[in-house]
Amino acid sequence: MTAFDLIRPYFRENLSRIATGLLFLLGVDAFQLFIPRIVKHAVDALSAGTATPHLLARDGGIIVCFAVLIGVFRFGWRHCLIGTSRRVERAIRSDLFSHLLTLDARYFDTTRTGDLMSHATSDINNIRMATGMGIVAVTDAVVLGGAAIGFMAWIHPGLTLMALVPMPFIVLSARVFGRRMHARHKSVQEGLAAITEHVREAVDGIRVVKVFGRGKQVDDRLKDLSKDYVGRNLRLVRVTGSLMPLMIFLSGMGTAIVVGAGGRLVITGGISPGDFVAFISYLGLLTWPMMALGWMTNLVQRGKASLDRLAVIFSERPKVAEPRHPTPLPNPAGRLDMEKVSFSFNGSRQVLRHISLAVESGKSLGIVGPPGSGKTALLSLLVRLYDPTGGTIRMDGVPLPDLPTADVRRLVRFMPQEPWLFSGTIEENICGLGEGADTGKLDRAVTAACLAQTIEGFEDGLNTIVGEKGVMLSGGQKQRVALARTLYDSSPVLILDDPVSQVDTRTAHHIIEAVFADARRTLVVASHRFAAIVPCDEILVMEEGLPRPPAGSGRILPGNLATPEPGHGNRGGRPCVGADTSKRQISPSPRTTGWQAACSPLSPPTGNFWRRPCSW
Amino acid sequence: MIVLTGLDLSIPWITKEALDRYIVPDPARPETRMIAVDASDPAVNRFLFAHPELRPKDDGPLAIPRAALDKADPETRLRLRAADMDGAVKAALLLLGALFFNFLFGFCQTFVLEIMGQRIIHDLRLTLFTHIRKLPVSWYHRNPTGRVVTRLTGDVENLREMFTSVITFVFKDIFLLVGILAMLIILDYRLAAVTLIVIPVAVAAAIGFARRSRSAFRDLRVRIAEINAHLAETIGGMSVIRLFAREKETDTAFRRLSDRHYDAGMAQVRIFALFMPVIEVLNATALGLIIFYGGYRVLGGFASLGVLVAYISYLRMFFRPIRDIAEKYNILQNAFSSAERLVLILDTPVADDEQPGGDPGAPIDTIAFDDLSFGYTDGEPVLSNVSFAAKKGETIAIVGPTGAGKTSIVSLLVRFWDPQGGTIRVNGHPLAELDPQRWRSRIAMVMQDPFLFAGTIRENILPDPDRPPAPEALDAALRLAGCGFVLDRLDQGLDTLLTEGGRPLSSGERQLLSIARAFVKNPELLILDEATSYVDSVSESEIQAALSRLMENRTTFLIAHRLSTARHAHRIMVVKKGRIAESGSHDELMDKKGLYFRMQQLENSTGHVPS
Repeated sequence: MTAFDLIRPYFRENLSRIATGLLFLLGVDAFQLFIPRIVKHAVDALSAGTATPHLLARDGGIIVCFAVLIGVFRFGWRHCLIGTSRRVERAIRSDLFSHLLTLDARYFDTTRTGDLMSHATSDINNIRMATGMGIVAVTDAVVLGGAAIGFMAWIHPGLTLMALVPMPFIVLSARVFGRRMHARHKSVQEGLAAITEHVREAVDGIRVVKVFGRGKQVDDRLKDLSKDYVGRNLRLVRVTGSLMPLMIFLSGMGTAIVVGAGGRLVITGGISPGDFVAFISYLGLLTWPMMALGWMTNLVQRGKASLDRLAVIFSERPKVAEPRHPTPLPNPAGRLDMEKVSFSFNGSRQVLRHISLAVESGKSLGIVGPPGSGKTALLSLLVRLYDPTGGTIRMDGVPLPDLPTADVRRLVRFMPQEPWLFSGTIEENICGLGEGADTGKLDRAVTAACLAQTIEGFEDGLNTIVGEKGVMLSGGQKQRVALARTLYDSSPVLILDDPVSQVDTRTAHHIIEAVFADARRTLVVASHRFAAIVPCDEILVMEEGLPRPPAGSGRILPGNLATPEPGHGNRGGRPCVGADTSKRQISPSPRTTGWQAACSPLSPPTGNFWRRPCSW
Repeated sequence: MIVLTGLDLSIPWITKEALDRYIVPDPARPETRMIAVDASDPAVNRFLFAHPELRPKDDGPLAIPRAALDKADPETRLRLRAADMDGAVKAALLLLGALFFNFLFGFCQTFVLEIMGQRIIHDLRLTLFTHIRKLPVSWYHRNPTGRVVTRLTGDVENLREMFTSVITFVFKDIFLLVGILAMLIILDYRLAAVTLIVIPVAVAAAIGFARRSRSAFRDLRVRIAEINAHLAETIGGMSVIRLFAREKETDTAFRRLSDRHYDAGMAQVRIFALFMPVIEVLNATALGLIIFYGGYRVLGGFASLGVLVAYISYLRMFFRPIRDIAEKYNILQNAFSSAERLVLILDTPVADDEQPGGDPGAPIDTIAFDDLSFGYTDGEPVLSNVSFAAKKGETIAIVGPTGAGKTSIVSLLVRFWDPQGGTIRVNGHPLAELDPQRWRSRIAMVMQDPFLFAGTIRENILPDPDRPPAPEALDAALRLAGCGFVLDRLDQGLDTLLTEGGRPLSSGERQLLSIARAFVKNPELLILDEATSYVDSVSESEIQAALSRLMENRTTFLIAHRLSTARHAHRIMVVKKGRIAESGSHDELMDKKGLYFRMQQLENSTGHVPS
């Protein structure tokens, strides 16, 4: 997509406005051109000695009348054209935002927040300036400039030609400078974006900065960035600072030529003194379009640079695409299976390798494993935050990419590992902003997440404002609000990533009990707390993107079904097969259960659990 | 700058002089009625021969009346007015010279001012940043990230704009206005008096405009800040938005903000669209007055045509600065309000500066909490009457339900916050009297949310980049912290570049690195706030083993949700609703059969692995 393709629809939308505005602008220009004619008329009359007070009064009066008309027209074009630029600004910004909402996690993994913010503000600002004042400057330059040249040529073609000698230089230098300006503007913007990002990071990590005495380091880094930014600015000003004076110089040159050569014409009687004065007035009129040319180049270049950047974003397509022929799932049961699924975030490091597993409808799967073993990645694939790089994931037998993504999100509720809250109230966080909250569902979610008491403790209850990213809540409170949000709608599949990592044991116990209470839901839980894993029907142990152990004996807890599938080797093993061997329950005394007995050899945290195959 | 203004003003003046003296001299004025001619020029002689009545009666300098020129053909006219022609050419050259210097000075001025402005702003930015990062954590609690970032970028940029463009232009404009006024009065004070009738109206319009546009501008800024805040939040929570299908409502909310921004923008457009034409009309009215009254005066022989033309030129220049100043007034106002906000920040006392009292000097021997009470907001106490003491080398575990105030206790210890009541004493010195920076230099803390900076892992872990430890020592420390396998997995090891939010590492890996960071710092006092919440039990036990080596001979505060982590501490404090409910060793508390005992039972019963 080129930059121009991007902006065209917005212009088309506002075509009538732009046309009206241009009409007004033409009116202004026309009247503006007439005023020097009247001045000429008066001056000629004065010079010839034929002027009378009556004539002067009439000319003066006409000028004022024209001025009032110009005023009205000017208001008209400003309202239409500048207004259009504001409309375009609004439309692009809103569309950009909507577009961002369609992009997937992969995009945001690789894009800095600070950059996106500067795209949505300063870049769109540049586009607005270019479209609003840009249109005006171009029109003025063409109409006013053309007409002024026409009138001048009418007075004396030869003199006009001479007066326009500097013209090509103006256009040429405007072009050359414009190109340089474009590059340097871009570099200034990048410099500012770097500063913004650094500041944002330092502010977000202020606690680390303080405790680890990183103050001087972040100061020094800002100093470097700021110095670099100053340098970029000065490089830019070397261009912009010389452009304006150069334009004034070149256009003033025209005046000097007219005084010299035109003076000779007056002396020889080639043109009348009145013509001469009018000529100088027209040249004056020409100065603005010429300068506008320089200014406009500046604006338009800046706008184009910004448009280019936006075009890159707009041409970005989500990797997780909507299916072309979506398969509806009328009666979702919530059976999940993965077949030889591989995944990598950035293409180089394989996070998951050839994983195959199945979770029957209404069953539960627990996932454990050391950090970086791919637990979160695996869960993210189940909700299609990412698509696997190899293999297929199916829901009730339908590959996920064939389901409408909205359906996937509706059928699968996922709670991410790090609780992330919106800055609104607790209720808004749990139920969303849209239609009013369903009190029954809300109560159930709040109770299940062990939030009821906490919320009672707040003065504003459910209407407590949680602040930016939930800053007013403690880590455990945030996690429980996030959990309540996940539990609010009852979906056939529930996926929880480390749901109780930040709450105390007692709370965790209640939460787990509540989550496992609904036996109709398919449940996938990754956790570092065994408490959350124990009640699962099957348990998958991950290591290095593989079901553990690598030798291929896919192991399933609780201690049965440890049947390796020799035919599949270590790659295609299906460590988890639906098996209705253990009832979902939280036994009050797990020491007596088979699981606990089976697992006791590996219970003591000896430190080499992952390395020693368990013999049981 | 004055030279520049002078040059700006000289251009119409030179044009006027050329016009009056040489090109269109006024036949009515005595000094220009006659033209001195050069009799040695054959063309002049021929003309004089053809018109004997023009020949001078005496032997004085040869001159002919201007009116007689009409009788000559163009070529002869040129010869007759050779002096005028010379003058016109000279004036043109003068004009070129003035223009050239205008160009030169103009560039130098812009560049010098930009350098000055940039330097000032650079210094301001650094000072401000250093100041902000030293502000207490409570300040950050009140000021969301977006706002702080806006202060350091947007507001500072506003000041820069004022320095580089406004100061230059406003001063130049004021000089220009004064200069033009002076010129107008010198040229013809009566005409000036009549034309300048419009000035009060223009000034009134400018003031009214400036006032309205200021509020429009402020409105616009508020709206754009809202947009920014919404964007930052949305981008940060994009996954959650997608997962919970909140796209539509987020989009609607954004479109509403965008609409409001548009409305504010249109209000501003209307104000500008009204003001600009008003100035235009006033300008034209002045022009009409000049044509009428000035023409009348020319008719009466009180003024020259050149004066009139110069007047028209000056008038055109006159209204531009008024308009400019009114327009720039915005930027000025903006810069002022930005400056106000920045001064407000600079006036906020910092927490981290050198303070009298300095250092506890000797190694940390005792840390005593004496009847502490604390709340983030008034009326909502988070901690009340917390008292306890820790001795050198002791490990204190803090356990309790979420929201009990565990993190708050250690936040007070590192002085992120200061308590509202009670004191913390280190070796008997009140903590508030110690220099926070030096105090913190003896502490390492592993926080609940592992925060890593963009940059290499090495940069994140090293305490001081200027004094890097031996590579083997660093490697050993990392492996001790359980990071060995993380590093082995990364192709570039310690030089792996992390981006925003510590990507591409997982939460658990980030936590391991933040533990390693504490290891490398080799602190006297260690604070672990849920240091292993993102790590599985087995990795945790490995880290735990490493941590217990680290905790040897070091005072340690340990916050834990898993009681197994807390069990080996010298003392366990059970915190509930901001108070210490129980305190003692694991065995003591188990014997007590109180809250701790119940929690322990629960943990065992839910399958948590006992050790």
